Amino acid sequence: MSAAPARPLLKPPRPEGLTGTAPSHLSKAMTIKGDLESDGEVVIHGYVSGQVTADRLVVSVGGCLEGDIIARDVRIEGRLSGRIFALNVTLDAAAEVSGRIFHNTITVAKGARIDARMPWRPPSYFETLEQLPEARA
Amino acid sequence: MSVFNRNEKDAGNNMAGGDKPRDAAPVTAAPAKPAQASVQPIGAAEPAKSIGVSVISKALRITGQLESTEDIRIDGEVDGDIHGVSVTVGPGAKVKGSVYGQTVELAGTIEGKIEAKKVVLTSTAHMAGDVIHQDIKIESGAYIDGHCRPGTNKLDSKPAEVKKPTVVAS
Repeated sequence: MSAAPARPLLKPPRPEGLTGTAPSHLSKAMTIKGDLESDGEVVIHGYVSGQVTADRLVVSVGGCLEGDIIARDVRIEGRLSGRIFALNVTLDAAAEVSGRIFHNTITVAKGARIDARMPWRPPSYFETLEQLPEARA
Repeated sequence: MSVFNRNEKDAGNNMAGGDKPRDAAPVTAAPAKPAQASVQPIGAAEPAKSIGVSVISKALRITGQLESTEDIRIDGEVDGDIHGVSVTVGPGAKVKGSVYGQTVELAGTIEGKIEAKKVVLTSTAHMAGDVIHQDIKIESGAYIDGHCRPGTNKLDSKPAEVKKPTVVAS
């Protein structure tokens, strides 16, 4: 933890024409220990332990993430243990989430297992977020 | 219970009927025939394939260690070691760290080491570091700054001993 990043963690939305980059797929057999940073879409089918920054993140069925998420859109169909900082959050019926969900809009499907607080924040909170608040138990 | 069962069956029949209205009657809950299976993947080929293969797209940057028992394709940036079966580093991709696998194909940049049974350096490859291989192909135009050494016994042992998870600040 040296100098804090001066720029917001959440990247500004990309112009429509530039969203053509193919999403990143991390397959079931993939294990990543470390941080992911993308200005596109990331789909996790495997296991990731670390912080994920993306425009859109999907933790797919069978996927598992241990760590914090900073993204515009988040969809959880698998397991998450950590915090979400996202404008739009969708928790699917198969989701298993523990941690905190900082959101602006949230959808929780029937059947999702949530053990988390879900604080609401205005959009400006996410757009100006420069450093994640310290994790509390 | 029985109501649910009937609904399921109905749904199955309906789906089968949608695929092949003529054969709907004999097809019950049995798995799809090979003929049907070969027809279906045409539309579904891409998603099925991309799930088996991990793709690190151009927009993604990973700091840490990747481990997979399947294939990996990297078009983005990785700062850390990569363990895979068949690892492809696409043009424009950048890897800082060691790459281990059965097959490693490099069209981008690696700063570190390659350790693989079969190594292919294409014409756009930029390799700064050693290559340990059993079988190597270097295309004209590839850049190498390092030693190419034939490795023998070491490559057969799976690289499971290297486990240095990066500390995640949260």
